[in-house]
Amino acid sequence: MRAWGGALAVALWAGAAGATIAPEEALATNTRLMLELVRHTPTYSPPVASRAFAYVGVAAFEAVAGGDPSLRSLAGQLNGLTPPPAREAGLDYDEGVLLQATLATMLAELFANTGPTGQRSLAGLSARLAEQAAEGLDPGVVARSRAQGEAVARHVLAWAATDGGAVVQNLGFPVAMELPGGPGAWTPTSRLVLQQLPLLPDWGFNRTFAMPDGASCPVADPIPYSEEEGSAFHLQAEEVLETSRALTQEQAEIARFWADDAMLSVTPPGHWVSIAQQVLDAREAPLDLRVEVMAVLGVALADAFIGCWREKYRFNTLRPVTYIRAQLDPVFEPLLLTPPFPEYPSGHSTQSGAAATVLTALLGEVAFTDRTGEDDGLAPRSFPSFWAAAEEAGLSRLYGGIHFRQAIEEGLAQGRCVGAYAAALETRR
Amino acid sequence: MRLALLLPLAAPALAEPVVPRFVDETAASGVESAYEGGWAYMVGGGVAAFDCSGDLRPELAFAGGERPASLWLNRTPVGGPLAFERGRSGIEMEAVTGLYPLDVEGDGLLDLMVLRNGESLLMRGLGGCRFEEAPASWGFERPEAWATAFAATWERGRDWPTLAVGTYIDPAEEFFPWGSCTDNLLYRPERRAFAAPLPLRPGHCALSMLFTDWARAGAPDLRVSNDREYYKGGSEQLWRMTDPPTPYTEAEGWRTLRIWGMGIAGRDLDGDGLQEYALTSMADNKLQALVLPQDGPLLPTYADVAFARGAIAQRPYTGGDVRPSTAWHVEWADVNADALPDLFIAKGNVSEMPDFAQADPNNLLLLREDGTFVEAGLEAGVASMRQARGAALVDLDLDGRLDLVVANRNAGAELWRNETEGGRWLQVRLEMPGANRDAVGAFVEVRAGGRTQSREVTVGGGHAGGQMGWWHFGLGGAGAAEVRVLWPDGTEGPWQRVEADGFVRLSPGAEPRPWEPG
Repeated sequence: MRAWGGALAVALWAGAAGATIAPEEALATNTRLMLELVRHTPTYSPPVASRAFAYVGVAAFEAVAGGDPSLRSLAGQLNGLTPPPAREAGLDYDEGVLLQATLATMLAELFANTGPTGQRSLAGLSARLAEQAAEGLDPGVVARSRAQGEAVARHVLAWAATDGGAVVQNLGFPVAMELPGGPGAWTPTSRLVLQQLPLLPDWGFNRTFAMPDGASCPVADPIPYSEEEGSAFHLQAEEVLETSRALTQEQAEIARFWADDAMLSVTPPGHWVSIAQQVLDAREAPLDLRVEVMAVLGVALADAFIGCWREKYRFNTLRPVTYIRAQLDPVFEPLLLTPPFPEYPSGHSTQSGAAATVLTALLGEVAFTDRTGEDDGLAPRSFPSFWAAAEEAGLSRLYGGIHFRQAIEEGLAQGRCVGAYAAALETRR
Repeated sequence: MRLALLLPLAAPALAEPVVPRFVDETAASGVESAYEGGWAYMVGGGVAAFDCSGDLRPELAFAGGERPASLWLNRTPVGGPLAFERGRSGIEMEAVTGLYPLDVEGDGLLDLMVLRNGESLLMRGLGGCRFEEAPASWGFERPEAWATAFAATWERGRDWPTLAVGTYIDPAEEFFPWGSCTDNLLYRPERRAFAAPLPLRPGHCALSMLFTDWARAGAPDLRVSNDREYYKGGSEQLWRMTDPPTPYTEAEGWRTLRIWGMGIAGRDLDGDGLQEYALTSMADNKLQALVLPQDGPLLPTYADVAFARGAIAQRPYTGGDVRPSTAWHVEWADVNADALPDLFIAKGNVSEMPDFAQADPNNLLLLREDGTFVEAGLEAGVASMRQARGAALVDLDLDGRLDLVVANRNAGAELWRNETEGGRWLQVRLEMPGANRDAVGAFVEVRAGGRTQSREVTVGGGHAGGQMGWWHFGLGGAGAAEVRVLWPDGTEGPWQRVEADGFVRLSPGAEPRPWEPG
């Protein structure tokens, strides 16, 4: 991402001058790498990505909180998280070495299945950052800091292994599954073999982070399915069709800006991580705030997908393209790729509602410009607040022809509910 | 609409195609070549098939990656066991990723474009399977890049070829190579030499390029298949060969398609004169059919019919590994000579990508009469689990049947001799006077058994390797065929009768000249 180029260059090339790595730089560089790995690791569909952001965010927070008396550990607050190994009292630790060790350990484990280029970058960057972080420091401090950082990471990874989402097979698609049928039921919308069955049907039963479980933030029942003209369902399908037909240039730009397709982008949770990074960079935020935001945001995004997926497979509704081609326009082509799973509620809306809730709680009403898609040729967009961005992200799915309006509105509301659990975490003493 | 023609819903039951029989003769062939190396050689690894000794039987040249490239002289007796002897050709250099033969200067000796991770070279054929770097008078500026694709054509009225070199990632981007795709390069002629290369910008990490006259407009455009793993904001490309070239846009009908593009192969499957294009990728592969407009001009708008026609080759069909496949070289070839082109796809994991199949057999998809495909790789004996990259289907023993060569990464190349009791056949070789002696850009049409086949003569496509020489047609049971050539200058040759099971040389304004191997 272009917005981070300056910080990265400082981190990677200052080593020649003998400078060490500030923990803020380690965090920024590893987050940038993680966003690339999410895009380029085939198992990293959006729900899987949200899970990784949560665990890396929590690990970074716990690593820093171990040496920052102003921060309060999330152990005992997040479901199943026990206190991580504590630092030894009275001994010195280097925060840059420690945090780099934590992040490198987390990424190596979570992205063990990435391809050869990702592995090359992971190994090379981790070695470079570790070397630079240690430069000029007492070897004993370096070893102790590195061991502590790795210990925190291993503690978080052990916790992660039991949440139900650790093993993703067949890129997240069932090898076999009987599709529930019936009027209004989801049917495949693509001609890709894998996508003849829906993505991660059991994801909604994963252990949540801050909210009690996947059913804690239900959405309203969907509008009853009907093929009758004038019915509420028919009307909302007509709205998608008419919106697509009369799409303005700006609406098309909005749809593409928030498309965030798996394996072609940083995904919706990555988009919100990127937004948070940009706002934190603009504010020149201190380390404690950075790790606090990354942890709480990650938790909100991960819980949002668990809650959303629980509801998607509870209702199992069809996509606009299926209904519109059958009832209204047989050659209808949505602007965006229709994702391979049920429609209701909208995942990006749930993500965005949850993200806006926690970012507003942590950073306030902030105007910002989002440059996440600049490298992909998507012009930056400016927003007066996180919620303004979230609402636009939700509507983008209508413009893109992949969601009905109710899925967007209920998705945003579900996200607000999920985000409130994360925002209620006590991160400060 | 063309799509409807491709999907007959109530086709009568038809006989299944003859399953070909390939015999693995790797060990006895004498060929020992592997495409070796680590990350810098995860793509590429092509094989070229062409005659450089003057006996009209194809030699083989392999990219070697970290090992020197190699050239193998064909010593195979007609209809006999495959036999090759290592040559000392001048291409024995390291860092070679791919090779494509073409006769640049029209002297009747094939030259060789040698793609490398570093400086790529255009090698001039000297005869006797010896090569040296092209003379300075050719004006070819060596591209300094990770070169991964190549295509060539002779633009109308030119007596010197136009070359396109596809490039990949910027090697200087050590930690964040994503989004670092370098420019592809276009070498156009300036009198009888190459002008300074033009950047084809934006480059999107090309792994296959093909000049092809998709619209039968009399002039080719440049298709580029790109690896979405590394581009940002990219897609598959089709460049209109204007001056300067410009990419077709969505407004002009070219739909955005983002795949891990690895290989391109075009062939007219339904006899309407317009080509379908097979594109290889990871997981699902593509088979694109042109969508004919109800009215108005032909636009480069393609529908993907791979799923409906059984050409998707998404995951291994044998060996028990259910993870998605990784596909590289792709080539149309009528391996059972039933007058229906079949589709070969070389398969193999990029490296150690655990989300994709490690035991990933090559595909041999036989085309049925109804336009669908059936997998026959296992039954045919070519379901190798090595990490395949390049390949060539070429008649190595000149018995009229297409044999198979597959180049593998970090493993030995494999050679199979085709012993199928299939249909009858015809092989033609185009010979033009002057420039473009091999008639690149021509269409060869063959009528036999009530069916008309056509193929475009191209330099490019596949994955990292190409062929030049005899062009093979299966004739089914027909004992003779009519053949005509639409020459690159637009001249329509006459329909000319030729007997089945033979080799003929075709030139403008001349009778077919039979040729006997021996």
